[in-house]
Amino acid sequence: MFEDTEHKAGKGTLGLVILGPLFGLLYVCFLPLIALMTLLLALPELAVAKKAEIVDNAGACMSCHSSREFSKTFKNKEKMSVFVNADDFKGTVHAFLSCTDCHQKVSLNAHPGRSSYDSREAFLLAASAACRNCHSDTQLKAKPVHAFLTNKTNGPPCIDCHGSHSVKRSTAWKNTLSDNQYCLTCHSQKLTKTLGNGEKISLFIDPSPLKASVHGKHACTDCHTGFSRTSHPTRDFSDKRSRSFVIAEACKRCHLDKHNAVRESIHFKLISEGNSKAPVCTDCHGFHNVGPKATYETLSGVPCKGCHEEVFKRYQKSVHGMAKAKGHTGAPLCSSCHFAHEVKISAMNERIKTACLGCHKEAEAKHEKWLPNAGLHLSAVACSACHSPNTAKGIQLRLYDQNTDKPFTEEQAAKLLGSEYQAILQRISSHGGEGLESDELWDIVRKLNNKGTNAKVTFLGRMDVSNSAEAHQLALKKDAVRECEQCHTSESDFFKSVTVAVVKADGRLRNFKAKPEVLGSVFSMVSLKQFYVLGSTRLKALDWIGILMVFGGLSMPLAHIALRVLTSPIREAKRLNKMRKEGKR
Amino acid sequence: MKKIYLHPLPIRIWHWINAVSFIVLFVTGLQIRYRDMLSLMKFRDAVDLHNIVGFILIFNFFIWLVYYIFSGRIRIYIPPLSVKKFITGCIRQARYYGYGILLGEENPHHSTPENKFNPMQQMAYLAIMVILIPMQLVSGLFLWDIKQFAGPINLAGGLKVVDSVHVVLFLFFLSFIFVHIYLATLGHTATAHIKAMFTGYEEIPEGHGR
Repeated sequence: MFEDTEHKAGKGTLGLVILGPLFGLLYVCFLPLIALMTLLLALPELAVAKKAEIVDNAGACMSCHSSREFSKTFKNKEKMSVFVNADDFKGTVHAFLSCTDCHQKVSLNAHPGRSSYDSREAFLLAASAACRNCHSDTQLKAKPVHAFLTNKTNGPPCIDCHGSHSVKRSTAWKNTLSDNQYCLTCHSQKLTKTLGNGEKISLFIDPSPLKASVHGKHACTDCHTGFSRTSHPTRDFSDKRSRSFVIAEACKRCHLDKHNAVRESIHFKLISEGNSKAPVCTDCHGFHNVGPKATYETLSGVPCKGCHEEVFKRYQKSVHGMAKAKGHTGAPLCSSCHFAHEVKISAMNERIKTACLGCHKEAEAKHEKWLPNAGLHLSAVACSACHSPNTAKGIQLRLYDQNTDKPFTEEQAAKLLGSEYQAILQRISSHGGEGLESDELWDIVRKLNNKGTNAKVTFLGRMDVSNSAEAHQLALKKDAVRECEQCHTSESDFFKSVTVAVVKADGRLRNFKAKPEVLGSVFSMVSLKQFYVLGSTRLKALDWIGILMVFGGLSMPLAHIALRVLTSPIREAKRLNKMRKEGKR
Repeated sequence: MKKIYLHPLPIRIWHWINAVSFIVLFVTGLQIRYRDMLSLMKFRDAVDLHNIVGFILIFNFFIWLVYYIFSGRIRIYIPPLSVKKFITGCIRQARYYGYGILLGEENPHHSTPENKFNPMQQMAYLAIMVILIPMQLVSGLFLWDIKQFAGPINLAGGLKVVDSVHVVLFLFFLSFIFVHIYLATLGHTATAHIKAMFTGYEEIPEGHGR
């Protein structure tokens, strides 16, 4: 319109002089009017425009993104639909935002290439970064879960929980989830946590083994007490081990009987002494994949081998291990003899022997058929001493209270002797490779019996395998020792290695080497008065007394004969004299 | 030459069972104790034989005990009640063995069924039959089954004490046997006493005896 006016005015000066001011007046006077009217006319339109701004501004975006036909392919060939449901978006708290408020790298001139992201996850992470433009760290950290996640580099993207275009408060949908699913919202993510010492642990929970476990029907919070929809305490563990100790405490809520049994075990004793390597529930049973009892009663599933590898290897080659491998369900596994929870060690030999005889009920009767004093043999000789051939053997001397018929423990000795016990221990330990002397054993027994208690202490000998791992390589019956001569001679290997084993109340042994001579020393009349193996532990002093006595017995007749020979001329003269006298008579 | 019936049949049987048993027990005992030096038989056989013969010896001891108590002849083991008589008798006998015999003197003791042993024999055999043999039998019995006899073994001072008693007595009997056999050859002939132990009759040369 303005172009036309200027065009006409240019045709003549008169026209320009007259019409110019006229149109200028019109322009000056009417323009505000026109503008005002236009504005008045447009007002209702503006009111509507505020609401439809996105759609209007997004017109270009939505021309493509309202279609369900388009998808995006990432570098890793993952596909993702690019459809945006505008109706959904309009119902969200973000409805007032324009597309480019979040997708800041996108404009009509710039639209990132289809393959600019490696993967869907990378895209989502990048897209989620936009949330932080408005939602500050301070705002996020007000909630513990957010606080935890905001410190993570590998935390899940915001949209995992809150959605993207249909953004919601997580409670809007999380509260509709089951308890376990609620936890898994985060814990199905590949989350990790760094512990005090720098160790990393995974917080990822694979729901399928958990479901397949004996605890499949349990809620997470049954074990993870203190955690709920409203509470997620932050726990700071210094290392993986101390975390296991805390987590394993949960088991006793249901398995109190097992927990109490464990308290009797050597494992618990070790833990209470500060040995962090000793196992807790989860070391044997796992965390979320707790299997049924049968799982731990198979060669492949038995947890003991994790730590006791050497023993397990020997067991596997034993008659028991081989039978187990062949599928004999009755064949014993570790727990059959050592017990699963109240784990005992072999020093409590009576229990172990009971374990052997528990299955081999006929053993005593069978031994009686061929072995003289079978009961005696069974009480002084460990089963494995004969039934584990080709093993190192030895005599183990243990303090024993004859009054109670029980081992005299280190604790008892320490209580009885007080500081003197420490002195003895120190002296024993300082022997090094030399081994204890017989008078030292005698001294120990004498001191223990002189204290005026009811205990009647002596060393009791036991024939055993010297290496406890070797005790597990039990062989077939036909390979067991049957010849008396294997033991009943001082040449036997048994009597070349002597150990003094101090038994602790929990059954652990403290071994000290002793000289083999202690078995046949005069002092052993007192210190080892109840240990005597025919033909093997004879008193050496008696050998010398014997030689002297037999020599004395022989020499008397010999000396007498010699005297008689020497004096025979006297008798001869006397006889002749007598004969002469008789002749004269 | 006159003959006196010195050894009644039960005593001869007892004596020779004793003699054979002692030898078997000596041999098997040595085999059990010195397995590392001796290999006469298997350990197991040695133990079995030792046990069997040990029980024979226990039974045999009762033959002796029953015979002597019920026949009243146990008196021959009992030294004279007068100490003076006993001591002079011992000195006289010791003087004979150490001196008189060398000079061809006559044995001051003349055995009769009622007074079979000289005072030294009485002393030795009384100790042997009443103390040492029972001790050996009892200690052997204990060692035969130390589990069953755990109580008495403990009372005696432990297994090693009982075993040592058994061994020391064994050594004593072994040395005693040498002297015993030698003294048995000191009759009027070397075999006179030995023969008598078979036949029961001791030959007394003329001119001997009271």
